[in-house]
Amino acid sequence: MSKRFNCFATRRIFKSIILTMALLLGMTVSAQTITSVHGTLSDDMGPLMGATVCEMDATGRIINSAITDLNGNFTMKVKNDKDKIRFTYVGLKTVTLPINKTTYNITMQSATQLKEVVVKSRKRATGNGLPIPEKEISYASQTISMKEFEGLGITTVDEALQGRIAGLDIIGNSGDLGAGSTMRLRGSSSLSSLTDSNPLIVVDGNIREVNLENFDMAGANNEKFAELLNINPEDIASITVKKDAAATAIYGSQGGNGVIEITTKRGARGKPKLTYSLKLTGTYQPKGYDLLSGDDYTMLLKEAYFNPTQNDAVANQYNIPEINYLGEEFSEWRQYRDNTDWRDAVTQWGLRQNHYVTISGGGEKASFRVGGGFDHETGTMIEQKLNRFSTRVALDYNVSQRIRVSTNFALTYTKNDRNSDGLLAIALKKMPNMSIYEKDPLTGEDTDSYYNMLQSGPYKGSEVFKGDQRTYVNPVASAHLAKNQQRTYDMSPELIINYNLLGLDDDHWQLNYRGSVYMNIYNQYDDSFYPQELKTVNWEDGVNTSNTGSSKSVSINTKQTFTLIPAFKNKDHSAMFMGRFELTSGSSSSQSTSGKGLPSTDGAITSPAAGGLINSVSSGYNQWRSMYYTFSAHYAYKERYIADFTVRADGTTKFGPNNRWGYFPSVSLRWNIIEEPFMKWIKPTVSMFAIRPSWGRVGNQPNQNYLFTSKYGSSSRYLDMASMIPKNIRLTDLKWQINTSYNVGIDMGFFKDRLSITIEGYHSTITDMLLSNPTIPSNAGFPTLPYKNSGKMRNIGWEFHVNTNKLVQIGKFFMDVNANFGNNRNEILEMEESILDGLNSKFGYENGEWLRRVQVHNPLGAIYGFKYKGVYQYNYSTFVNMTDAERQQFLAEGKTAPIAMNADGSIIYEVNGDPKRMMYDYTLPGSGRTGKNYKFQGGDAMYEDLNHDGQINALDITYLGSSLPKLTGGFGFSFNYKAWRLNTQFTYRVGNKILNMARLNAEAMTGNDNQSQAVNYRWRKEGDVTTIPRAMHNFTDYQAYNSLVSDRYVEDGTYLRMSYAQLSYALNKKQLTWIGLNRISFFASINNPFVLTKYSGVDPDIVNSGYDPAIDNAQTPRSRSYTLGITVDF
Amino acid sequence: MKKNYYKIICAICAICGFTSCSDFLEIKPQDEIILEDFWNEKADVDAVVAGCYAGLQSDAVIRRMLMWGEFRSENFMASGTNVEGDVMNVFKENITAKNSYTKYDAFYTVINRCNTVLKYAPDVAAHDPGYTQSELKATIAEVSAIRDLCYFYLIRTFRNVPYVTEAVTDDDQKEQIEKPASDFYTILDALIADLQSVRGDAIVRYPESYPSYQTGRITRDVIDAMLCEMYLWKKDYNQCIYYADQVIESKKQITEERRKKATISSAITALESRLDGYPLVLNSRSSNSFGIAFNKIFAREFTTSSTDADEIIFELVYDNSAAGNGMPANGCFNSWFGNRTDKGQVMANEVVVGEAQKESGRDIFANETKWTDSRLYINFEEDGTIAKGQYENVSLTLSGAKVTATYSNQYTKDHNSSNWIIYRLPDIMLMKAEALVELMGESVDEQMRSECFTLVNAINKRWLCQNTLTADTLKKENYTSQSLMRKLVMDERHRELMFEGKRWYDLVRLSMRFQNMGANNIGWLDFLSTAVNRRTGPNGSLAKSFFKKSFEGNDTYTQNMWSLFWPYNYDEITVNPYLVQNPAFGSGMSDSYK
Repeated sequence: MSKRFNCFATRRIFKSIILTMALLLGMTVSAQTITSVHGTLSDDMGPLMGATVCEMDATGRIINSAITDLNGNFTMKVKNDKDKIRFTYVGLKTVTLPINKTTYNITMQSATQLKEVVVKSRKRATGNGLPIPEKEISYASQTISMKEFEGLGITTVDEALQGRIAGLDIIGNSGDLGAGSTMRLRGSSSLSSLTDSNPLIVVDGNIREVNLENFDMAGANNEKFAELLNINPEDIASITVKKDAAATAIYGSQGGNGVIEITTKRGARGKPKLTYSLKLTGTYQPKGYDLLSGDDYTMLLKEAYFNPTQNDAVANQYNIPEINYLGEEFSEWRQYRDNTDWRDAVTQWGLRQNHYVTISGGGEKASFRVGGGFDHETGTMIEQKLNRFSTRVALDYNVSQRIRVSTNFALTYTKNDRNSDGLLAIALKKMPNMSIYEKDPLTGEDTDSYYNMLQSGPYKGSEVFKGDQRTYVNPVASAHLAKNQQRTYDMSPELIINYNLLGLDDDHWQLNYRGSVYMNIYNQYDDSFYPQELKTVNWEDGVNTSNTGSSKSVSINTKQTFTLIPAFKNKDHSAMFMGRFELTSGSSSSQSTSGKGLPSTDGAITSPAAGGLINSVSSGYNQWRSMYYTFSAHYAYKERYIADFTVRADGTTKFGPNNRWGYFPSVSLRWNIIEEPFMKWIKPTVSMFAIRPSWGRVGNQPNQNYLFTSKYGSSSRYLDMASMIPKNIRLTDLKWQINTSYNVGIDMGFFKDRLSITIEGYHSTITDMLLSNPTIPSNAGFPTLPYKNSGKMRNIGWEFHVNTNKLVQIGKFFMDVNANFGNNRNEILEMEESILDGLNSKFGYENGEWLRRVQVHNPLGAIYGFKYKGVYQYNYSTFVNMTDAERQQFLAEGKTAPIAMNADGSIIYEVNGDPKRMMYDYTLPGSGRTGKNYKFQGGDAMYEDLNHDGQINALDITYLGSSLPKLTGGFGFSFNYKAWRLNTQFTYRVGNKILNMARLNAEAMTGNDNQSQAVNYRWRKEGDVTTIPRAMHNFTDYQAYNSLVSDRYVEDGTYLRMSYAQLSYALNKKQLTWIGLNRISFFASINNPFVLTKYSGVDPDIVNSGYDPAIDNAQTPRSRSYTLGITVDF
Repeated sequence: MKKNYYKIICAICAICGFTSCSDFLEIKPQDEIILEDFWNEKADVDAVVAGCYAGLQSDAVIRRMLMWGEFRSENFMASGTNVEGDVMNVFKENITAKNSYTKYDAFYTVINRCNTVLKYAPDVAAHDPGYTQSELKATIAEVSAIRDLCYFYLIRTFRNVPYVTEAVTDDDQKEQIEKPASDFYTILDALIADLQSVRGDAIVRYPESYPSYQTGRITRDVIDAMLCEMYLWKKDYNQCIYYADQVIESKKQITEERRKKATISSAITALESRLDGYPLVLNSRSSNSFGIAFNKIFAREFTTSSTDADEIIFELVYDNSAAGNGMPANGCFNSWFGNRTDKGQVMANEVVVGEAQKESGRDIFANETKWTDSRLYINFEEDGTIAKGQYENVSLTLSGAKVTATYSNQYTKDHNSSNWIIYRLPDIMLMKAEALVELMGESVDEQMRSECFTLVNAINKRWLCQNTLTADTLKKENYTSQSLMRKLVMDERHRELMFEGKRWYDLVRLSMRFQNMGANNIGWLDFLSTAVNRRTGPNGSLAKSFFKKSFEGNDTYTQNMWSLFWPYNYDEITVNPYLVQNPAFGSGMSDSYK
């Protein structure tokens, strides 16, 4: 091979040298050359008018051209007689001849007379790697073509992916506009919250590098999502999810969490096509638990303050005029006699409009696709508004047969008007007897100003609300008066050149060069203003606060790729090789200014520079660089035995000189068993049967730079001296986190691939895990290290997915099914004792405290707590005052009182003969810790005394379930009849438990927050039979333990969700000729219309993250939406 | 045009090919300086020295200085219901290893900064000609003193702690990081030796153009004050007295120099006679108005000239300007003592408050029938709100035998600029008195008794709201025996240094002093048990039961005193295999759970 290449190359070089010399000498040396040609073109019918004659150079570039006249004659000057002359006419066979004469009289043949050539098309893998035919792909991946969604109302990419990819878990984070989803491919590869666990998103081979200063990972989800939002689904051609290490090895350390490759559409040859689409969507948020009304709330609070001491005098000393419906003796009396539904006041129907126009087309030389869209959304929370303008341009120009230049340009502008406060969270907690608008003290009518609880000054209400209700802003006021705007500009221009250096088809050796330069420019501007109306505090404590900031990030990436495809004489062999060098460099900077005390009324002045006090001015700068070398090889024998090998070397600024380079190899094999001769008999039924084992190793890097240097930075001044302090402990030996994985996949296809099934099993081990902020002995001068390599973790799982292609076809009706399910188990294999100790929480005997247990060789996500047995019906004193017979009868009737029982169910007695009273956390002698020593009362929560020691303490905590699902997945059906199409998609999760902390807090009755209506069934007097304990305010000295984490709050999280159902109808061209349109299609879709679940919370879409079990912290539920759309092709 | 693109790409290729990889991947932070570029000149050293002070005045350190030094004594109690849980648990003597106030990392952060200066400053002196050897020595003295002060706080709180004297810069310095705790006396001796070795190099007087440096930074006086106190803990009373005299003499000299420059009114000189020549701040505004010393001692600001308070030896200075000079405000006082917006989390214990309202039979404040001791008003208000550190001014008006207090200029939220006093002269004088008590013996050396009484009385007389002193409150003839004298000194310390983070350390020191003196001698628990028994309310009884239990656990009272110290934080125990938890707290965790 090399010999041939050398020979060819040498000849080329020789040739070009000669050519150069000839050019140089061209003026002086005269040779016998042909300078012009002429002639006549004709076909069977006679002379051809308007046929094209052109001169082409060796690379196929057109140098000169002419058109035949009325009689088919032409004359054309020739620049170089080494070139070729070509004659073309539509419908006739093109003729190409060498320039060796001056007169050409050609009779062209009709193209239709040619005999039909069977083109064997082979679908090839797109993306960043080798263009491997689909049948030879030996790694684990799954592709969705957006053709499936054509004409349908997919508004975001993750919507399209949800439930479609086996092993990809997509969880909606919040219902706020522009907020994202969390994605986990094959479980979490990292437990640290500092390294990102989302899969890598690659758009047309490019990775978006936006790296803002003060980049928090909580916001990172939004960032990732924004990246997906910035790509309009209309622009997407296909999405490939790469799962195993062999598939992601070409991304080295970047692909540690899996890769989602998105390929966008490009222009196609044909006359310009204009498409317009419009989607109108209405969204709303499902309601959670019902909240108490103002009347119920005040009643509850009175009980909660009375119960701890059972003494009116003590309860009254708190003197809470806000809940007592007082008269004029309380100056604010008018404001506290409402029944406000705060949640209703802050939620609304959101409306979204998406407009998108694309024009695409192209000819032989060039093709283009230009898309532009405008979106306008209002949120499900009041006063949220998002405007987005996006455009994407793709141009391809074939300079010659060998050279193609392409440019891409994408721009997204987003303006997001957000809420300043978490409105829903406040609305759920805010006291419902307060009014939204300030009432006129005389008439009791609503005025037009919002009411906020007085926070300082001569305080007129009770001190008890100081820590909670007084700090909750009026959410309606906040929505209307505060400003919190974010504007972002995201631009990514790209220039690509493809050069086929050698042969152009499969019969010749091909060496293709692809060079690209890609830039990513991201600017963000944040402006916020919080007016004085929302904060009734002293002027100097900060009213009329304002913040303005901007950040920008610029990165440049260049890739140089050479792909060599040898042409073997023996067609049984085929091979491909790729070498790539990649370089990324980027920087970001940010600045922000915040001020307070602005001279503003009614929010007229909102800039911090407008004369207030400047609180703080800050700026930041960040820089990163990396370098990658990739080598990839593919070999196939008889399309039967396939082997792939990839290795990538990553160099990054994140590590010190010792460990700067990481090497990530992978090997994968595929055996297409179906191609074996002995399988021939089964081929009519089974169209594909292959087995693919793979092994690979990818890595992960920390998300901070400069960890290996000792940094000095400024600290606060002392006296008049500016100070500097050592900022960190130098990590001399930090290493890459390595993820080694094995994968075995089986591909099966039946009935000419009408039904295809893939089964994957994987086993991945993560070593040298990057743990963030491990505690070290603080006598080192630093309490924690930023990162440490420690521990080993394993993910084992399997996946299954089924796809069909016109599975059932009856006349014009056809139907398809897709289904997938998967399971992932995560387990820690090794971890330092001290780190485990640091992770595991110690029980502090407080209400609402959940335990985190991370144990080696145990799966993560286990939930621990007490066993809940209901509520004690009677007081201890009632029971003690009974006679023995009465006591026996009492127990026989199943009544309960706080008395201790031993294992066989009989009463434990004290020395004095009284029954032993059930206690909570009795002080153990010698433990060095004073217990809570709480005596249970009637109406208190009854927990099971598992060890029958007559008290409830940490020893009674037990395992309550696992938050890992046994199965997750999705399935969908699509039905087509003529131009009608119905698509449905479902997702499900089976067998996981959720700790519903949202419900715990909504039923705790320990504070002043509003509670769920369930508490109306609380225990109120002796004998009440209920599962809701009595109201007990959380006083330091009289605390009850009614809301300890127990199985009362552990719920089954199994669910089946209908992700979407879409109905579409298209009018075809025939029906539209009278208005001159090509196509009109309509659709209607419902997203997330229902969830079948026993879970009592708003949304069971909660998974365990990191070391913690799955906990429902009242996150904003996924919104429901209804969409109507129309797409018109002109 | 297309050809140009091609050229550009070729050029980029070429550039990439020729650039050395290692250079490309070598970047430096832009907003921070890396070690290799630092430590070049004197300014670098000065900046990190300032960093040591910045660490010392950080909220985490100040809060612990106050809490460790006083919260377990009878002076404080929780105020209202909005008290931090961890603080509440300290008042209840329910201190577990999970309590955040058992964390000592903020002190070690300062220690490591000091060690870093000690490591690199000599190199700077070697190649910066602008940094002389004597300046280097002064730097070493200054940071050594800061480090020793941190260790002194740590051993008085935890008894044994890891003693690290080498800078930790890398994560592989295992022997510095995982270090076992050294014994209390081993560290105390090391601190004394260290301070004595640098004492001679320390700056005696800062230039007058930097008035706040004299009390805001380490001087030789500060080192002497530390040595005085350390010797007292070491029970070396002669050395204690020696260093106390050094400080007293130095302070007298400074006052002398200052007074030479100013004209002194005769009224002041008349008043001064009551101070027996000790340069304490006078408290008189006019014939019937008092309280000026409060403002001059406790409400000093960064901008105020230091000459007002000659009696301050070392203090950490805070800032109150709203715009901010880049210095923090005193957040500890702000949240614990209170401010104009919020009530504080802690208040004076009801025993202390009750004491102030008693007409006779007082235990803490001097037992006389009048209320003329200013400290009955300047430490706390009538309702127990702590006045020190919360107001800038307290004005006391005498009318008959009755004093009326007016509190003014309360700090606003987040702008508390009260200084945090570590040493002031009365503290040193009383330490000298304490040493004298121990030296005078049971036989009572009369000269020492006299000297001792004069010291105590000078401090006491300063605060009396009487223009012309008719009679001393304290009568020398009442304190004839060593134990009576000892009680007098301890009581005077109690009322003088109330809420200044000293009381609990005094109790620990006294207990340690007598623990090995045998059962027939003074029960070392006397002072402690008196103090603990004074605590009232539900928390008081919890505290009493804790100490009772701790003491009963041992065969005799003289065996160990672990319960007086604090447990190590849970995090430290789990990550440092050599650290052994304070036995009085078990593992410090809920044992039932393990």
